[in-house]
Amino acid sequence: MADFLQQVVSGLASGGIYGSLALALVLIHRATGIINFAQGEMATFSTYIAWTLTTNHGWSYWPAFLFTLAVSFGGGVGVYQVVIRPNERGSVLRVVIVTIGLLILVNGLVQLIWSGEVRAVESPFPSGTFTVGEVAIAYQDVGTIAVSLGVVVLLWLFFQFTKIGLAMRAAAVNPAEARLVGVRVTWMLALGWGLAAVLGAVAGMLAAPSVFLDPTMMQAILIYAFAAAVLGGIDSPVGAVVGGLFLGVLLNVLSWLSQYGLFDWFTEELRLPTALAIILGVLLVRPAGIFGRQAVRKV
Amino acid sequence: MTRKLTLTLAALALVLAAGVATAGAGQEQRTSDPGVTATSILLGGTSPLSGSASAYASVARGADAYLKYANAKGGVAGRKITYKYLDDAYNPAQTVQATRQLVEQDGVFAVFNALGTEHNIAIRDYLKAQGVPQIFAASGATTFGRDVDAYPGLIGFQPSYQAEGWVYGKYLSRTGVGSRVAVLFQNDDYGKDLLAGLKRGLQRSKVKVVAAQPYEVTASDVQSQVAKLKSSGADVFAVFATPKFAIQAYVFANKLGWKPRLTINNAVSSASNIMLLASEGGTNKVVNGSVSVVFLKDPTDPKWKNDPTMKLYRQVMKKYAPGANVNDVYHVYGMAVAWTTVEVLKKVGKNLTRNALVAALGTMSMGRNPFLLPGIAIKTGPSDHFPIEQMLLQRWDKGAWKSFGGIWGYRAT
Amino acid sequence: MSARLRRTAVPVVAFALLAAFMLVLPAFVNDFRAQQFAYVAIYLVAITGLNVLSGYTGQISLGHGAFMAIGGYTTAILMTDYGVKDVWTIPAAALVAGAAGVLFGIPATRLSGLYLALATFAIAVATPPVIKRFEGFTGGGSGINLFGTEELTASLTPVEILGFELNFNNWLYYLCATVSLVLYVVAWLFLRGRTGRALRAVRDSETAAVSFGVSLTRYKTLAFGVSAAYAGVAGSLFAIATTFVNPDTFPISLSIFLLVGVVVAGLGSLAGLVAGAIFIQFLPLWAQEVSKSPGAPAVVYGAILIAVMFLLPYGVAGLIARLLRPRRGSTGI
Repeated sequence: MADFLQQVVSGLASGGIYGSLALALVLIHRATGIINFAQGEMATFSTYIAWTLTTNHGWSYWPAFLFTLAVSFGGGVGVYQVVIRPNERGSVLRVVIVTIGLLILVNGLVQLIWSGEVRAVESPFPSGTFTVGEVAIAYQDVGTIAVSLGVVVLLWLFFQFTKIGLAMRAAAVNPAEARLVGVRVTWMLALGWGLAAVLGAVAGMLAAPSVFLDPTMMQAILIYAFAAAVLGGIDSPVGAVVGGLFLGVLLNVLSWLSQYGLFDWFTEELRLPTALAIILGVLLVRPAGIFGRQAVRKV
Repeated sequence: MTRKLTLTLAALALVLAAGVATAGAGQEQRTSDPGVTATSILLGGTSPLSGSASAYASVARGADAYLKYANAKGGVAGRKITYKYLDDAYNPAQTVQATRQLVEQDGVFAVFNALGTEHNIAIRDYLKAQGVPQIFAASGATTFGRDVDAYPGLIGFQPSYQAEGWVYGKYLSRTGVGSRVAVLFQNDDYGKDLLAGLKRGLQRSKVKVVAAQPYEVTASDVQSQVAKLKSSGADVFAVFATPKFAIQAYVFANKLGWKPRLTINNAVSSASNIMLLASEGGTNKVVNGSVSVVFLKDPTDPKWKNDPTMKLYRQVMKKYAPGANVNDVYHVYGMAVAWTTVEVLKKVGKNLTRNALVAALGTMSMGRNPFLLPGIAIKTGPSDHFPIEQMLLQRWDKGAWKSFGGIWGYRAT
Repeated sequence: MSARLRRTAVPVVAFALLAAFMLVLPAFVNDFRAQQFAYVAIYLVAITGLNVLSGYTGQISLGHGAFMAIGGYTTAILMTDYGVKDVWTIPAAALVAGAAGVLFGIPATRLSGLYLALATFAIAVATPPVIKRFEGFTGGGSGINLFGTEELTASLTPVEILGFELNFNNWLYYLCATVSLVLYVVAWLFLRGRTGRALRAVRDSETAAVSFGVSLTRYKTLAFGVSAAYAGVAGSLFAIATTFVNPDTFPISLSIFLLVGVVVAGLGSLAGLVAGAIFIQFLPLWAQEVSKSPGAPAVVYGAILIAVMFLLPYGVAGLIARLLRPRRGSTGI
């Protein structure tokens, strides 16, 4: 039993990381209607900035953390204004290709600047573990999940109660009318990209202490994050986090059961395909996900 | 429109005529093998300069740097060596295309230092048919050293993964540090070969592999696998993983409070900088006393600080691979390969042909390669294309590797 | 000359020119180049098919590398396990991949835009590990080698065709070029008629299409099936040309490159498609000429990709249309 619970806890730990990146995907989709394939690479880039500041320039953690968030915000806004906005009109195909171009470009930049070597990133949480029964739980993992949930609450407050949040929603839902009532739509969309980049940076800095930083750090996580976001409902922050946790636990439980002959088709190769099957299944059966509201299709 | 058509047809006829005229001109008589002149030798190979395995690009860069240094010292028998390496993004389909370019367009003398197991497998039949030697394939798969009869022009370099696994098995069965081994391995040829070697080394001993968990190279982490291995009740933890996952394995084992009596870490990820990361500032006790094999000089190891070869290594890196990370042991690997190549070419001398090169590769016997640890020889025979079959064991002790015991030798079968 | 005649004559002449050019090309380039152009022809097949789906029907697919993988493995398995000669595996690859496309297309018709992009992306990412999982059938990670097998034409000894002796590279080139031209004509005929109009109607406005009695499910599924069958043929040729398949030979980047090729091509022009295929084959090679530092080729590649979206929003076809007519062409992507 302790084995099983340990697998669940490990799954929650992995899932917390998926969920934190999924939050960035959800935010950008909600604020601009775009799925950003480069989100993971942008997060990796941000994490390297934090690593450089703390390791090479002797900054302490929190100033480096805040500075990284600020740079990421600027980077997100800049990316939107410079490469996304001019390609937004016309078909979605162009935006998809541009974000994929960004993915390739940013990944190359990371390798060029920081090389492929594995790096350790400081954590804001204590490094040890505590045990409940025979199950070991790391402070780092608890912290990751707590931060993700905290972000969910902040996002909810932001979108529900602040003027900018409301304007952002309006800009995303109906740009033409929003413009009429005086919302600066372009800047609202740019703001969405900036905030998503900030969340991506947070996700990167939460993930790096446990999975370690290298140029491919976010590539696997991004795919699980897609699955988490779709599962929870691509417009729902709380759905993203819950979707991530569920996915992490599900994969570990399947893997654990397969040792005992249940679901014995499940092997390690199928971890990723299972997550992707979830994307397909959810999109086809309930495109709004678990927590999303089913949109009425306009005809 | 009619005029346009007439013009088009005229142009077309012209093109066709020219085509027929030049078609026969392509053949030329060759007196010696391609890629060799009185003043030059052209070698070529593929390397993952982009994509997920780009960390291994250092192997090509290190070799290239050393060959440039060798050229500056006068080259070999009056010939300068050019090493052209092309990106394959670690995709065998691109390895095939790039290798054909090297052979058919660039006319390389030999394919050298191509990296990856499947990647070398994908091109070996083609190279055999073309009569191009495939030298020092950068992979520890057993097939490259063993299948000499099928591929006489193909030779590997590093100790095979099976040999490495076997050494761990023998070490465990002789010392009796633990009796139950749990293995984390990468689910590909490399991880499976290490595991198979370990099991072979454990044959007829009381030590048993009680659990083995694979992970995919595309995984985000190996937390779940490590937790399962812990629950197997093993007292030895063997990590057959690439650097990032090896670090994760140590860190997760520590997190779970698992205290195996001994941890084994394969040579691929046992560079000192990797171990330092895994030790989490010295707090991770799982790292202490780890055992690994070693055959190269580790650039971060303080005991080579004044070693003339490693001093040369740093100079060569600075001059011919500026900006590259000098602490990366893959550069040393590349230089060790390049050094061996230069020695073999020296031995063949003036009359350099592909046949002569292959013959020389099959009868190598070099007492020392300065980039390898003292005592490790390079030796091959007509049916033995494993240049390095010896290695040392080392133990991680107080933040540094210390080698112990004698030299372990293995003869693959 | 009447406008109607011109509408047929111009493409036919252009096609004849291209065919003639492709016929004599090997005489001007060395063997290795011929082989590179064989790959151009392979990508031409794949993006001609993908153009039916993404260009004409407006459905984004980031997953056509998966259908290429299905075609490639069909060929490799038929050749090595069943002793089928390479060229005869091509139709089989088209059928198997086409069937897979229809199977995926039926549910996928419910998705549009970014969701479809995400779903097809999932297919492309999932395919390599699934191939690896079924090791007994696919050879797992070690893959299947075709070089030197009896079933592979000309890999060891030249083949004689119509009295000409062709070595492996020229054989590959003529095989791939012929298949690509034939399939281009097929696609052209397919898109010219009623079906083509229906597909365009689906792209331009689903609501309007439905009100004209066009069945969305039927035509979207059809487009998926056709494009997947084309990808299957491309995958089959890819396996024959590469003489080796393993899961890594069909990575997610292949799917991405195919879509990029379609976008570079733009709509409705053969020249555009050829440009797209050339882009896929040669851009990575040019990118690494710029710099070999780790990561630098990717930076160049990504930057060019984004630049193309700025400079050629309607692809090469749009550029041609703009050059020929003072007004901007009405076709868009």
